[in-house]
Order: sequence, then C-alpha cells, then structure tokens
Amino acid sequence: MSNTDDIRWVAQVALFGDKSAFDKLTCKYQSSIRRFFLNLTMGDGPLSDDLAQETFIKAYLNITSFKGISGFSTWLYRIAYNVFYDSARARKHYDDIDEQEIDGQQHTLSEFSAEKMDIYKALKILRKEEQTAVLLFYMEDKTHKEVAKIMDCPLGTVKTYILKGKEKLSVYLTNAGYGNN
Amino acid sequence: MQDMETTDTDKMLKSFFDEQKQKVEDNGFSQRTLRNLPEQTDRTWIVWVFALIGVIIATAIAINTGLIVQTLQLLQHIPVYYWLGGIFCFPLVGGIGFYFAQDRTYRLI
Repeated sequence: MSNTDDIRWVAQVALFGDKSAFDKLTCKYQSSIRRFFLNLTMGDGPLSDDLAQETFIKAYLNITSFKGISGFSTWLYRIAYNVFYDSARARKHYDDIDEQEIDGQQHTLSEFSAEKMDIYKALKILRKEEQTAVLLFYMEDKTHKEVAKIMDCPLGTVKTYILKGKEKLSVYLTNAGYGNN
Repeated sequence: MQDMETTDTDKMLKSFFDEQKQKVEDNGFSQRTLRNLPEQTDRTWIVWVFALIGVIIATAIAINTGLIVQTLQLLQHIPVYYWLGGIFCFPLVGGIGFYFAQDRTYRLI
C-alpha cells in the first residue's frame, strides 16, 4: 500500500465522508500510532488505545486540513503528538508517572540480555522531548525533517534532541551491557 | 574517529529499537474506532454541482463556436459501416481498458 493509496483514501474521506476509506487508513496506521503511544505512556495499553482512537477521530474530523505537502503518516503523527501532550497537560500524567507502577509493570532484570531489555527504563532517562524525537527517529524511521514537522520545532532543535538522547542512551545501554552479547 | 563512534552508536541504537519494535495487533481497534467516528454531512453534492457547471460551460462553448452543428453535419457524412465498426470495437477497447485498470492479480494467459 503506497502513498498514492493514502491520497486516494484521504480524497474519498474528504469529499464523501467515506468511512470505509478511513477504515483502510486506520488499519494501515493503527499499529505504528498505538506503538508510539505505548512507548510514550511507558506501556499503558488502555491509555494508548484511548489516545490512538482520539487521534484517528481528530484526523477524520480535520482531514480537509491535510494538504498533502508532507505524507499522511507525518500528518497523523503530528496529531498524535498534540493529542499526547494535550492529554499529558490535562492529566499531568507525563510528569507524575508513578515509577513504582512502571517497575511493577515490567520485569526486573537480573541478567541483561538484548531480548529482555526494558525499553521503558531506557526511555525514562531522557527528557520528554528527547524521548519523542528519539522514538520517532529510531523506532518509527522518520527523518530529521519529518520529526521537526511532527514536533513543530526547528530542525536544529530536533537534531539536538536526538543527539542528546543518543548520548544518554548510548551510555545507559553500554553500562547495561547491551551490544556485548 | 568521532564519526566512527557516532556511526557505531547509531547502529547500536537502531538495532536496540528494532529489537523492541513490535507490531501491535489490531484486535478490533479499527472497528471500535470506525464505530466511534461521528456522522458527517453528505458532501456528494459537490461532485454533482461541479459536473453540472462543467456540462453547462462545455455546452455553451459548443453552441457559441458552432461545434455542435459542425459535429452533426460531420456525422451525417459518416458511412453506416463505420458506425457499425465503431460499435463492434467498443467492447474490445473497453475490455482492454478494463484489464489495465485492474489490480494485476490475474493474467489472461
């Protein structure tokens, strides 16, 4: 399924309010958007699903504002990013995440291995902007420019976030023994 | 040297995130989202309005330039067997067009 399909489905939704076309877009992007939220919420599945659903509903309601300059995926991540930070501000979820709760959700690793690496613990050492930028760049395979569009900040700032995040994660992972296996 | 370190770090992080990257199964998420989509007003009329405007403009141009009259005069001079040839060719041309417009999930041979 190419970007041409995306444009065709977006046109059908924008012109006719075609829900089946929007369903195809939802099926295509649900995994990446939900994964993005899962990582940002440190594994909170129900909250991630709520935020993802809100993202898709907002995308449906505002689909006429999609200009096609950037890809549909980038546009959708931009909405997801705004939904997450609106939600975080409203619930103060982001800053008040209970560390013990997170630890409880995850297994405590006595022996480090690549397969069991706790991504949430690694992400926790980053600032929230760094988390977002690093996730979009390394996990969701977005370019620097796309990350800048999604986060609505200058390209240089995004590069700084990614560089700082990379340095911190590099130290963390090396200390944890990652890459030595 | 620093570039080499950067590349190694990038590779390590890429590898780390790739290992953690899992596909989230749909498990009814799309259906739930579809059910919760609000109803929107039917905007099909936009297409019909533009189609009507197009037809009106085309007809006005055709009348003003005498195109319709010329075309009708031309048609009168076309022999009957040309008409028949055109009619019999239509399914063939239509079939070829239809074949190329389809997703290529099948082949004729």
